[in-house]
Amino acid sequence: MKTKFAIVTLFLTLTMGAVVSAAPKSGARKDTPPAAKPGADNSTVQDTRLEGELRFRANCGRCHAAPRKFPPRLMATVVRHMRVRATLTDEDTRLILSYMTE
Amino acid sequence: MLFQKNAAPAVCLALVLAFCAAADAQTDPNDVKPFPVFTGTTSYFTRVTGGVVQDSPSMSPLLLYPFGDKWLFEAKGSYSDTFAKNKSNAWEGTMSYGLGYAEIDYLANRYLTVTAGRFTTPFGIYGERYAPIWVRALQTGPLISSLARGSSNGGMLRGGFSVNPEIDFNYAVYFSAAVTNHVVTSDRTSGGRFGVFFPQERLELGASFQKSFQQEHSRAEGVHAVWQPNAIPLSLRSEYQWSEWRGSGFWVEGAYRLSQIPHGRPIEVVGRGQKFYASRLKPAALTKFGIANMKDTQQADVGLNYYLPNDVRVSGSYGRQFGINKDTHLWTVGLTYRFVMPAFPGGGTR
Repeated sequence: MKTKFAIVTLFLTLTMGAVVSAAPKSGARKDTPPAAKPGADNSTVQDTRLEGELRFRANCGRCHAAPRKFPPRLMATVVRHMRVRATLTDEDTRLILSYMTE
Repeated sequence: MLFQKNAAPAVCLALVLAFCAAADAQTDPNDVKPFPVFTGTTSYFTRVTGGVVQDSPSMSPLLLYPFGDKWLFEAKGSYSDTFAKNKSNAWEGTMSYGLGYAEIDYLANRYLTVTAGRFTTPFGIYGERYAPIWVRALQTGPLISSLARGSSNGGMLRGGFSVNPEIDFNYAVYFSAAVTNHVVTSDRTSGGRFGVFFPQERLELGASFQKSFQQEHSRAEGVHAVWQPNAIPLSLRSEYQWSEWRGSGFWVEGAYRLSQIPHGRPIEVVGRGQKFYASRLKPAALTKFGIANMKDTQQADVGLNYYLPNDVRVSGSYGRQFGINKDTHLWTVGLTYRFVMPAFPGGGTR
């Protein structure tokens, strides 16, 4: 019981510490671009691609190796499935789908 | 008491309605119309456990059927056969099959997804994230997997959203009814999991809880951590779980992709250490509720995965399990293949 209490306390302390240390720093993570639409200029497309790749590595890479890219309509289904399963944020879902279907 | 019984569903409903009303309407990302997908994994593994050889082919088909902008039906089954030599030195097979999940998901808004049906119990991270055969880095599962039921039948609220640019929050809360049919078995439980993810550090910390409302009415709790350092292709994950009646334990796993050396990219080196502490309750008390009386056990595994093209993976591992008066060698070698295809002809290729 004491071990369990110690582990839970340690975990909560680490979580609190991590939240506090990561909390709002000015200009830390720039605003993310929206998913690029057809006809968007090159810099927007490039920003979206980079951000999508970052989100892909941070979220998908937590659990599994990079999958192949599938046709867009299949990828949309797979990403919707992963949004539910991996509790991805709405923004991550959009950017990852954009990256995986480009 | 009457108030408490009536209040829980009402509070849940109020929360759902509040979420739905407050948040923005959910639109389908990128305006790509999703098409039904048939996917899954097949595998063939040979396991040697304490000198006993077992061959085990398996298959886990998964159907993903999206409809509209907000709905998804997903169902996953599993089938495996385990062959081993019996006392007369003849091969004998034991078949097992089940329904991992068959759920309908409604993407209510950016904060909330409502799930109904049979789903993977959101307790800890292994069952939902690392259990699929093509995902798991080591084919042997953690010893603490037995502390919570793998699947539940009922309803679940879940979601993930950004708290600020540096912190994402994810959650899943559920209730489950008791079902005794062996294909869709589940317990009458309630619980959930919460996680905080720091995208820049690629660090996730979380906690789970579960309460049983049948038989022994036990509690279970757990914490987990996942970290992928930005500098090197290493994944570290760990869980600690405690159950009032079934024991406790932890596992720590590291997977390192050798992408920094020439021709090493397809190779992944894996190691895991774990320990299980048996319940301190008297065996008679456990037997009364049909709970297996397990022993303190510790185990260490090392493995190698080689990723071939087209989602084929060759895996091998060696482990050693130390129990009371028992020292067992564990070998596994095998192949996994994951397939993804349109569920129906004529779609999904454009």
